[in-house]
Amino acid sequence: MLKKQRWACLLLGFTAFMLLGFTAGMIEPKKWLISESSNLCVNGNTNVNKFSCEIPACDRTDTLNMTRNKSSKEITLSGNISLSIQSFDCHNAIMTRDLRTTLKEKQYPRLRILFLSLSNFPELTEKPQLITGLVNIEMVGITKRFEVNYQVSIDDQKVVHLLGTRDINFSDFDLTPPRKLGGLIKTNNKLSVIFHLKIKELN
Amino acid sequence: MKKILISGSIAGCILFVFSYGGLFFAVKLFPTLFVEYNSPLFNSDGSRDVLFYMHPFIISFALSWFWDSFKILFKGPFVLRGLEFGAVYSIIALLPVMWISFSALDITVPMVASWFLYGSVQAVIAGMVFSKTNP
Repeated sequence: MLKKQRWACLLLGFTAFMLLGFTAGMIEPKKWLISESSNLCVNGNTNVNKFSCEIPACDRTDTLNMTRNKSSKEITLSGNISLSIQSFDCHNAIMTRDLRTTLKEKQYPRLRILFLSLSNFPELTEKPQLITGLVNIEMVGITKRFEVNYQVSIDDQKVVHLLGTRDINFSDFDLTPPRKLGGLIKTNNKLSVIFHLKIKELN
Repeated sequence: MKKILISGSIAGCILFVFSYGGLFFAVKLFPTLFVEYNSPLFNSDGSRDVLFYMHPFIISFALSWFWDSFKILFKGPFVLRGLEFGAVYSIIALLPVMWISFSALDITVPMVASWFLYGSVQAVIAGMVFSKTNP
């Protein structure tokens, strides 16, 4: 009995030590406000034309928590943007309707990008700096993790611009690219996703 | 009946090659003409592809039956008989269908005109085949 208690105390002590050690390795998280003017653009092509669809603005304000890790350069992020599939605009009513149908808008009305990490804390200057980061993209009920290339810069109003780019495939989300006339007209599997986050530090 | 089926099958094979070969090259050579097909009006999940590729045989068997009943009306060399047969089909069947399609669907004149031309050429080729296989 006494042996069991000793083991339990040891385990508790070890857990407390690990937790303390972990939090001591982190710097206080900073909260950032994601502006509603942040936007997302999806570029793709078929064998007969190119298309560019965008969500020109977020319909809600979200926040992003950025935690700097003392021991490594990596930044842990928590927060996401949730975008309405209905907001997609392909500048052509037919293409817009087609994309919304392909993304199963009625069943899955929102697309979410969850921000997980940044490779390092960028020096915030007007000149864009290149970094990478991990995100989870949640679409049509499927979540996939991607490494995203970012260009980070800051403007006069102290708004940080994170321009993320990443190629994804329809097949990553178990979607079949639209095809017409028995496959004579085909949409390419690859889509280029560009999102422009405008964030401002919250005091 | 046997003649209708044999002629229909031969014409179906020839039209299959002509129709999809023609469409394949048309998409490659004139891609802008096909941009309009990126529309929810057209099936995009591939579930009806078999039906789409069966079309040359459907039209061939229908035209073969029509040819067998009215071939005595088409006289002259096989090219002329084919042309006349194609013209009759285009006026009787295609024109009214294209008319109602254009009036009811959100499609353009070039699209409807291309369908008319496509159907007419199919009927002319089928007519020429029938004048050889079932004179």
